[in-house]
Amino acid sequence: MSKEPADPKIKEKVLAYLETVEKAKSKDIAKAIGEVKSDVDNAIKELAIEDKIEYLYITTTFVALKGKVGAP
Amino acid sequence: MAKIDIGPPDYKENLPPVIRENYGQWKYHEKVKPGLLKHVANSGDELYTIRVGSPRLVSVDFIRDICALADEYCDGYLRFTSRNNIEFLTGDASKVEPLIEACKAKGLPVGGTGNSLSNIVHTQGWIHCHTPATDASGIVKAVMDDLYEYFGRDDLPAKLRVAMACCLNMCGAVHCSDIAILGVHRTVPTIKHEILQKGAEIPSLVASCPTGAIRPDPKNKSVALKDEKCMYCGNCFTMSPAMDIMDPKNDGVAIMIGGKVSNARTAPSFSRLVIPYLPNNPPRWPEVTEAVRNIVEVWLKNARSGERVGEWVERIGWERFFTLADIPFSDKCIDDYIFSRETFRTSAAFKY
Amino acid sequence: MAEDKKTPQLDELEKGPWPSFVTEIKRAAVKSPAANELLGLMERSYEDNKGHWKHGGIVGVRGYGGGVIGRYTDLPEEYPNLKEFHTMRINQPSGWFYSTKSLREICDIWEKHGSGLTNMHGSTGDIILLGTTTDELQPTFDEFSDAGYDLGGSGSDLRSPSCCVGPGRCEFACYDTLDMCYDITNEFQDELHRPMWPYKFKIKMSGCANDCVAAIARADCSVIGTWRDTLIINNDEVKAYAESGMNIQRLVCDKCPTRALEFDAINNELTVIPEDCSRCMHCINMMPKAIQPGKEKGASILLGGKSTIVKSAFMSWVIVPFMKMEPPYTEFKDLMYRIWDWWDENGKTRERLGELIYRVGMGTFLREVGLPPVPQMVFRPRANPYVFWQEEEINK
Repeated sequence: MSKEPADPKIKEKVLAYLETVEKAKSKDIAKAIGEVKSDVDNAIKELAIEDKIEYLYITTTFVALKGKVGAP
Repeated sequence: MAKIDIGPPDYKENLPPVIRENYGQWKYHEKVKPGLLKHVANSGDELYTIRVGSPRLVSVDFIRDICALADEYCDGYLRFTSRNNIEFLTGDASKVEPLIEACKAKGLPVGGTGNSLSNIVHTQGWIHCHTPATDASGIVKAVMDDLYEYFGRDDLPAKLRVAMACCLNMCGAVHCSDIAILGVHRTVPTIKHEILQKGAEIPSLVASCPTGAIRPDPKNKSVALKDEKCMYCGNCFTMSPAMDIMDPKNDGVAIMIGGKVSNARTAPSFSRLVIPYLPNNPPRWPEVTEAVRNIVEVWLKNARSGERVGEWVERIGWERFFTLADIPFSDKCIDDYIFSRETFRTSAAFKY
Repeated sequence: MAEDKKTPQLDELEKGPWPSFVTEIKRAAVKSPAANELLGLMERSYEDNKGHWKHGGIVGVRGYGGGVIGRYTDLPEEYPNLKEFHTMRINQPSGWFYSTKSLREICDIWEKHGSGLTNMHGSTGDIILLGTTTDELQPTFDEFSDAGYDLGGSGSDLRSPSCCVGPGRCEFACYDTLDMCYDITNEFQDELHRPMWPYKFKIKMSGCANDCVAAIARADCSVIGTWRDTLIINNDEVKAYAESGMNIQRLVCDKCPTRALEFDAINNELTVIPEDCSRCMHCINMMPKAIQPGKEKGASILLGGKSTIVKSAFMSWVIVPFMKMEPPYTEFKDLMYRIWDWWDENGKTRERLGELIYRVGMGTFLREVGLPPVPQMVFRPRANPYVFWQEEEINK
């Protein structure tokens, strides 16, 4: 993963895409928004630190907008 | 916000002084007696290791107790092993016997070194897991009580490594152990359609089945199961609570033997299934403890010095093992999964 | 707090000589209502032969995608203190060495925020803290972070790397497992804490082929110490072993898998046929004072180990027969990044690296990751002629 700051435009696209789904794997987000996966991973990292998204482990790890998916 | 990504604590700050001073300069070691190792450095310094068993699931007060022992006898340092043993480390020979006595007084078993039974590595079981076919801590306690003497003896033919996993996910990776105790299911999952209809990941659920037993059922917005294809691995249940495979009347324990990870003498090898099913019979699982003891005793009686369980069985032949151990051989012991053919005997030479 | 229930089956497991986990839960139960209810829930499982935990859910610590596992009981009305009973994984120090000061610090923080129950350690190697509520997760992490501890891995990320005791105590260690584990764990913090892969990935480091952390069975990448030159024999010490009564011919030479050792029983001298030795460690294990690994030390890199689910258990297989293992471990790290990129690109969801290589073939993997095929990778070559030829290998 890149150690550089993430591209703010990609971060916005990730958030916009996550509005449209319950949860997604970062690979699928990258495909859907047409960006390179490592850039998307980097954007997700920053969005998680900013508390805008969270990771969800259900047999594999997904990401979702913070608070979108509740406890079982 | 607290700092993130600071990484693990620096191991160098957690090393006892005798190790810091002789780091990477160890010359040889001796197995002095069960539970006691002596390492000698090029400098002439000596390091004594006293190994004791733990239940792995421990309270913070237990950790404080062992800290008190380490403070009194070991300059305030200790370590844990990959098999959940505790090792007290001291460079002072005069501390060794008093420490061993203090451990015994606390109920900590001293042993597990050299050609002995070490602690059983295991998983969470009913304590904390959502997919177990059996408990782990309870079986481990029952088996270690039963085989207790072999933890404190180092005159077995070779080392003995037992592992326990409460389902096929094998968080404890039991598949290369001298004796593996494994929680298994025996019946197909009951599909809870109402959970799947709420929008579960049907494609990933279908993909999770290694035998293609799960098919999409678009009419019901659910899945259908070809019962005869299911071999009860439980991978679908790991994926979704809708595939309820828990069956208290039929879940139980399988025993696999003969695996190892060390490369010494023979290549690392998988454990092989010899007992396909024993019932869940808490709190002491007598069928399991008897089966394990039987295998250990047959090995003790028949193996040559230096032979791990698997090396012994491979020398005498698996067909002889079933006779010696008086374990019934059934079709359940013959592989019918994807790598089965390599286990078929493509030779006309064998024993009875 | 629920009324104290009787636990006759668990009580039975307080008997017997092996230390009892039930006693430990009871000790924690004195201070923790959740630990107390855990006794009742366990007894319930012992009565009805099934577990009472639901599938996990979304819990975490800000900025992290792993290290916390959500756990909820399916009987929250009866056991309200177990409604949320999450696990935290704290990344262990290399080799599981501790000062009592650091252990006490861990105990104090955990007693304040959680059940006071732990596993020392989990199967992957972390310090496992069993049981706290969603609200306590962030404060617990913050306090651990201030004290110098970090979370371990969980989910589809790099799991906490672990290693054997190495040069800390073992004369067999062919590289510094403790340092390498510490170094790469720090290098791979993003991979450890932000799950972005198809599934989990484990790295384990053993200092020699005895493989005390079971790297070959349990790690997607197994780093196993070895040497490239010849083992070193000290015949004065061989004599001492012989004079002590050891049957060197039977216990050492006859057990050598490649018959690479010859023992002269008249002069009590041992010699090795260097090109025949496969470096299995047996003779060194038997005679540690007399036989040592060679001088040109490093490690073999093996890939693919995992347990049964889904496509059977795999043991790791050789990918790089010998690599020097010295700080800053650049060659190893570069290889890992190449392998992860390839796996991330090609792997299906929940497909471990070994299963992916098995599915697409070693040839494809080696070409795409840029590794040369060598005979050390296989026990024996294929027994069929079904070869995939590449475009440039065909006459036009």
